[in-house]
Amino acid sequence: MSDYIRRLPVYLLLDCSGSMSGEPIEAVKQGIKTLISELKGDPQALETAFLSIITFDSSARQISPLTELMLFKEPQIQAGGATALGGALKVLAECIKNEVHTSTATQKGDWKPLVFLMTDGAPTDNIDEGIDALKQVSTGNIIACGAGANANANTLKKITNNVLMMNNLTAGDMAQFFAWVSSSIKASSKSIDAKPGEAIELPPPPQGFVIVP
Amino acid sequence: MLSGTVLQAVLENGNTIEYVYDANAPRGGMKHTFFTPDKQFAIQFFNDPKNAADPRMQDRIRTIVGIYNPTLSEADGGAVGNTDKTAGYFRQRFCWPLAIVRQPEFGIVCPTYPRNFFFGSDASTVLNLKGKDKKSNWFTGRNRKYLSPDERGNFRTMLGTAIGLSRTVRRMHQAGLAHSDLSCNNVLIDPRTGASVVIDIDSLVVPNKYAPEVVGTRGYIAPEVLATLGLDFNDPRRALPCVQTDLHALPVLIYEYLFFRHPLIGPKIYDPNDAERDDFLGLGEKATFIENPNDVSNRPPDLDVTIKSLSKGLEELFIRAFVNGLHDPAERPTAMEWERELLRAWDKLVPCDNSRCEKKWFILRDAQNPVCPFCKTRKNGKITQMLFKSEMRGRKGVFRDKGELVVYDKLPLYDWHVYSNIHNDEKANTDIAAYIAFYNGMKLLVNQNIDGMLSPSGRLVPKGSAVELKDGAAFKMTGGENGLLCEVAVSG
Repeated sequence: MSDYIRRLPVYLLLDCSGSMSGEPIEAVKQGIKTLISELKGDPQALETAFLSIITFDSSARQISPLTELMLFKEPQIQAGGATALGGALKVLAECIKNEVHTSTATQKGDWKPLVFLMTDGAPTDNIDEGIDALKQVSTGNIIACGAGANANANTLKKITNNVLMMNNLTAGDMAQFFAWVSSSIKASSKSIDAKPGEAIELPPPPQGFVIVP
Repeated sequence: MLSGTVLQAVLENGNTIEYVYDANAPRGGMKHTFFTPDKQFAIQFFNDPKNAADPRMQDRIRTIVGIYNPTLSEADGGAVGNTDKTAGYFRQRFCWPLAIVRQPEFGIVCPTYPRNFFFGSDASTVLNLKGKDKKSNWFTGRNRKYLSPDERGNFRTMLGTAIGLSRTVRRMHQAGLAHSDLSCNNVLIDPRTGASVVIDIDSLVVPNKYAPEVVGTRGYIAPEVLATLGLDFNDPRRALPCVQTDLHALPVLIYEYLFFRHPLIGPKIYDPNDAERDDFLGLGEKATFIENPNDVSNRPPDLDVTIKSLSKGLEELFIRAFVNGLHDPAERPTAMEWERELLRAWDKLVPCDNSRCEKKWFILRDAQNPVCPFCKTRKNGKITQMLFKSEMRGRKGVFRDKGELVVYDKLPLYDWHVYSNIHNDEKANTDIAAYIAFYNGMKLLVNQNIDGMLSPSGRLVPKGSAVELKDGAAFKMTGGENGLLCEVAVSG
């Protein structure tokens, strides 16, 4: 029998600029691995969540198209270059436009996409164009996480109201960030506590992370 | 604090218990969980200190641990009327809180789930599931295909799971308790054996105690609860979780166990512009049963096996639950009705003759047309049924129907097939009373342990001897008090 399960599209936007070299980028790779394995262990997430990864350095690109978890292949990631955050937002808007199914009179559409953005520095391109592009598509929660001393909360606040700051870029912090992303995706795949149109309630961020009011 | 540090909690009864701190402790919507060093018990604390400190909530949980506890005998401080036998029975089927933690903060102690509700290393060849708990949607959704065939059970074990769950819910409701969040996450099942365990007992709704602020889980929330979610918690029009909302969640789970699909999720689009609102309407205010006989707007075009493939009694209950009672909670069948009808269906199970049939068993709906609804294989040979009747009290010679049993080789019979005053429930003796043997072309009922079983001619059938089940034969299962009359019907 056909199934009528909606997909929950999840986009990870990851900063791969030069400052991420070394331990941070290795921690990101490990984080993605753990995230996939965690989500595959949760029946609801496994059934509904689809994952895509967009990376940005001097430019931005989608390195993993929106894919169901069982077929997801870990991408090759390298750090180097500048921080094209604006470009990443434009790529995100384009991907959402192309990949996320909207409802029609005869076909059930996807859930609103969940977006996690992680960056460790200030953007080196114009993010306003990216923000404008993003306004043209429908998203659910966008969570921006600034990592380390050079991340700027005010810049991230222009993109979304949900901004978290983590003080440093250690492997432990990065692991906690990905663990939190994983529980947020699990919670979103189960919950419809929120009334229609409202953002889904996510679990509290890990200790040591500051929510920017 | 470092993960792995062993801490001490003080219980309300003054005892202490050790637990292991874990920075990444598993975290649900309300609570997070640590374990004792031997992993025999879970210590749960509330995520929100406001919840933990609420005296009304604490008061509610104290009664759950004490006077409402079906897993403790009355003599040990548990529920009134509970014996050691029934307490032991429900200990296997509930993960019921055992004690309350006073320090370092308010919390509860629960037993950990029995081992058979965790996947082993051979559960799947494509996923690493070792140690994951067996949430029921592993088995009822499309994830099923990733599990090894041994894990998946068959139609008979899934029907057994449904019986166990309805009995467990009936036991709660009998005491006036409502679970309030029955769902695939809070009922773990083991389809290999048909076992189930209900967890997350602390959000129970207790009579005359302040209600917990739970809504439930997507897909299991009763339509009226979802439809009034926007109203204030204290608004009298707001529908809150209660026994009647459990009576929506229960048949959703039963339907999923039997059909591997959700009863309300079909092709109908309720709002083409907004997925979230579409879902909100489709599971709430506008919910439509995919098998509604009067409204096919949500019916999948390729429905094959339906409630009509079950017993007539179960078909009627599903219609009451998902057509009459979907938006009218008072119409929903009780857990006791589900338990009784599922047990009747259990006695009509027959093995499918097709050795490759994935479901292996089906409920015989029509003895004249014994076809497996899943693989369409027709059964060979004749169908023999035992029709049980009990004599009405004070009206000698007047009998009423007490159930039917479709026989197959090696089928065991129990006391409830022998005595009119014994029911298949947590109190019943589960030793085999008699069994069916197909022998030399004959179908025999062999007396294993019945005193006073009689043959059709009224002679005593001693233990170890048998009665042949021939069409039209009638005999007393026992000549003793409350013995059932059995009539044999052979068809096909």
